[in-house]
Amino acid sequence: MGIACALGSSAAWPQEELPADFSEGFYGFSDAVPEVLTTTRLRQPKVRVPGTTTVIEGDMIRDLGIMSLVEIFRLVPGMVVAEVGSSTPVTTYHGTVHYEQRRMQVLVDGRTAHRATLSDMDWQTMPVPLELIERVEVARGPNSAAYGINAFLGTINIITRDPADTAGVEARVVRGSRQYIRTFGSVGDAGGNYDWRLAYEKRKFEGFDYQLERDPVTGEYGPYPFHDGHDINVFNYDSRLEIRPGINTELRAGVVDGVNEEDVFKNGELGATANPDIDVRDYYLQTRLNVSPSESHFFHIQASYENFDRRQRWPILIPSGVLTCLENGIDVFANEDECLRTDDEGNPPLSARVNADSEDSRLELEVQDTLIFNPDLKLVSGLGYRADTYRSETYFNGRGNNYQSRVFANLEYTPINWLTLNTGGNYERTTTTHEGYFSPRVAANFTLNDNHALRLVYSRAVRTPDGFEQDPDYGFTLRDVEPEIWAEYEGYRVESVDIWEHPELVTLGEELEEERITSREISYFGQFPIDQGSFQLEVRAFKDKLRDMISGVIQFDDWTLDNNVALDQKGFEVEAALQYPKTTLRATYGYLDQDGWYTGPADYDEEEKTYNVELLGRLSVRHSGSLAAIRELPLGFTLSGAMYWADELRASEFQRLDMRLAKSFYRSDFTGELALTMQHYIDEEPDLSSDNNIEDQNQFFVEAGIRF
Amino acid sequence: MKRASWFQTSHHDHAAVTWPPVLFLLAILTVFLSTVAQAQDLAVNTVYIASSGNPALDQHMTRLLEDALGDKAAVRPLTNGQTATPDDAPIVTIGPSAFSRVRQANRRAPLLAMLVERSFIKDYVARNPGQISAVYYDVPLELQALIGKAVLPHATKVAIIASTETAGLYEPVVDKLPAMGLQPRVFIVDTEQDLIPTLVRALSYGDFLLAGPDDRIYNPSTIKHILLTTYRRNRIVIGPSQAYVKAGSLASGYAPFPAMAKAAAEHLHHYFGSGELPAPDYPDQYSVEINSQVARSLNIPLPDKETLERELDQVWSQYEGSEK
Repeated sequence: MGIACALGSSAAWPQEELPADFSEGFYGFSDAVPEVLTTTRLRQPKVRVPGTTTVIEGDMIRDLGIMSLVEIFRLVPGMVVAEVGSSTPVTTYHGTVHYEQRRMQVLVDGRTAHRATLSDMDWQTMPVPLELIERVEVARGPNSAAYGINAFLGTINIITRDPADTAGVEARVVRGSRQYIRTFGSVGDAGGNYDWRLAYEKRKFEGFDYQLERDPVTGEYGPYPFHDGHDINVFNYDSRLEIRPGINTELRAGVVDGVNEEDVFKNGELGATANPDIDVRDYYLQTRLNVSPSESHFFHIQASYENFDRRQRWPILIPSGVLTCLENGIDVFANEDECLRTDDEGNPPLSARVNADSEDSRLELEVQDTLIFNPDLKLVSGLGYRADTYRSETYFNGRGNNYQSRVFANLEYTPINWLTLNTGGNYERTTTTHEGYFSPRVAANFTLNDNHALRLVYSRAVRTPDGFEQDPDYGFTLRDVEPEIWAEYEGYRVESVDIWEHPELVTLGEELEEERITSREISYFGQFPIDQGSFQLEVRAFKDKLRDMISGVIQFDDWTLDNNVALDQKGFEVEAALQYPKTTLRATYGYLDQDGWYTGPADYDEEEKTYNVELLGRLSVRHSGSLAAIRELPLGFTLSGAMYWADELRASEFQRLDMRLAKSFYRSDFTGELALTMQHYIDEEPDLSSDNNIEDQNQFFVEAGIRF
Repeated sequence: MKRASWFQTSHHDHAAVTWPPVLFLLAILTVFLSTVAQAQDLAVNTVYIASSGNPALDQHMTRLLEDALGDKAAVRPLTNGQTATPDDAPIVTIGPSAFSRVRQANRRAPLLAMLVERSFIKDYVARNPGQISAVYYDVPLELQALIGKAVLPHATKVAIIASTETAGLYEPVVDKLPAMGLQPRVFIVDTEQDLIPTLVRALSYGDFLLAGPDDRIYNPSTIKHILLTTYRRNRIVIGPSQAYVKAGSLASGYAPFPAMAKAAAEHLHHYFGSGELPAPDYPDQYSVEINSQVARSLNIPLPDKETLERELDQVWSQYEGSEK
């Protein structure tokens, strides 16, 4: 018997009549096929994408035993993950941030997940259970051309599983070291015109074992309990209703409720006497209308509303000397010896309650249209509008709004079979600076069949300061004031302008300008069919110029933000994956050479200049990478291992080895899984901060899951 | 079954050689004329075509069959209302409805079914060997599995979904796949509501989904959900047929029409020679249709056409050799 191949087009004669309902062919319903979506908003195979994009499949995340959302990014070349403050997870691509993660756009199913006015990411409270992740795409490099002014260093797009793909019932429980608890359950249905899913996840964790602090009672410096856990509950509803062929609507909603613990040594201003835990009460609503008038034209209209409501309240005890300083207009922290003491009359300290409550909301509207003129000419374009509302007595002394509007487009053109050109741009106006910005990207992909591409990419992007950076009005209002002699302070607002520690450095009130980045990339993507398997390799070399970077301190008693640092950075990154029967191997490596210098006021002393430059380098690591292997064993067992490392992470380095052994059960009416995961911290030294301590270098997790 | 008339004629002429001399010359003449007539009969053995209802398809198949039969038989359409053929000439039915129609009209007619699947025809054949035969339209599932392995060389686990009634369709292939280095597992779908949940579980097992000619699972109302769910899980679908490849299935084997016509012609020649149709069979040549757009979308590196063809030919020959 002989075999002949017909690749690509159908044979000349229609061998079989197509069933009428899908006679429009592949593109008639291919909206969700996992091509790279993030980089340009067009669905593109990697050989045509104008930039390097890492795609991490949900199955890999689960197979490697990753225990929290942020840890996924250890698998992305050039990204670093760490914890700051009270175990607050942070991640970034190419450093430049620390506490506040401002320079990457983060999307969940196309909805901005970045907090609106405090310009930060809260990974612990993200409404994304690990079980629901379909894949995570990270477009590495400036991506403002597609996603606007905050996609400065890159874009993270978390795509959750379609409700049609999770029909049935699933449950999973995970228990582990440091009181790690994760319980997940989902129920849903698919088929017909209406697919839906209701999911719940509980995440609870004690955080690090101890910090190094001075015991308030004994006065001894050493290990001290760290109040840095969290207890978060997430509810999600996702649905898709097919109105008629070619038109469907998605509705998503979610609620996040819980407590994020904050340690009094790490958070809480004005002499906090108890842990200033954060009460989380977020919710979101998202709807999207998808219309496909034809296989070559489709568009969507999306509206989302997100509300981040945080209540953070704590008691304080203020020495009476502080009140004297406040009355006399003496900067409290600049004159600590004079102010932080009992006053001359020997009055008792003032006790009160303060809060750092904040509620910020984002309304986003987006229209996106895709035209496929032919397989070699595709255009995506759209309009976006965003209204941010912030309410905080502490951060803004009331409420305010910021507005952004934008127009974007990307044209993919393949004039000859070995060349694909992408040209895209985004024009945006924002009321935070009252200016408009254009962020372009041009790229040429030289391709060899469908398996190899050499890309040349040039892009520019900006980041505008967020509402809090630009227009703060920072102060704590005293409530429940005691004792009686301080009753006049009830409702008094202690403002940062009253307590500066370094008044000569304060920049509050100065207009901040946008940060700018110009990036050049040469990258190669290749996939090689090999005997019994396949091999993928992606190499990215980059050279970036970052100018007018905003650096400085953003604290209640110190405010030195300014466009005062310039950075040049270059490096390369490698991502490779090898698949052969029963085995998957994956490796990543990132090398970053970052060179920064101070561009602010020349009269500052060298130490201050250096400090401002170093602030942007706290999460900039020279070497980072990961190795992962997943091996299927007989009898339904799967063994996986992963090694993560980040070198020169400030003074420390991070190295961890994860191993997971799972056993799957396939029965006629259910599928089950049992697994044991061990995380081995190779270094005894804590990473990033001396407070991030774990008593046992080996951490264990057990999990059980079932799907009907 | 009666032999074709020209064989019968030839038999009677042979007996005439014992007649008296006067008649001998007549006999010689008769033999001569008979031989000429036999030669003429050879040219006019007739095959009737029962229409599929698609004129273009009928014309195409008729032309291919004429080419395959050469000058040894004529191909004529079965006219409307015609239930029998002269001299028990065989009828080639195109598609299952044509077969059913002709079969209901004349249960004694010799029928060669084309464009029918094995599952459709096997009971008829079992009850009427020699009278009913077929050239299978579907592709051996073993070949489909090998195509999956060729496209995804690291694949070791094959997911199959079937209903309780159709699980038997996969019984033979389930037994044979382990020898090919593939571990199959059949997931049973009992109700329509179970389809996607079962598919999700199946995809968590298999490297690819092997789709057979099972209309209860794979049909126009289900294929969209199946394909999308599969691709979102970064898995692929192999089969069930060429049409589904155009719809979004990654690849499928298929029998080219000329190969089916060639096989049909061989069956018919056998009939003309023996008066009985041979057992139904698959064509001896297959092609593979691949949706390269889907492959590109899923970042699956396809070998070039010649390499894939060569590899498939090689492994399929090895497989067939091992089966003999």
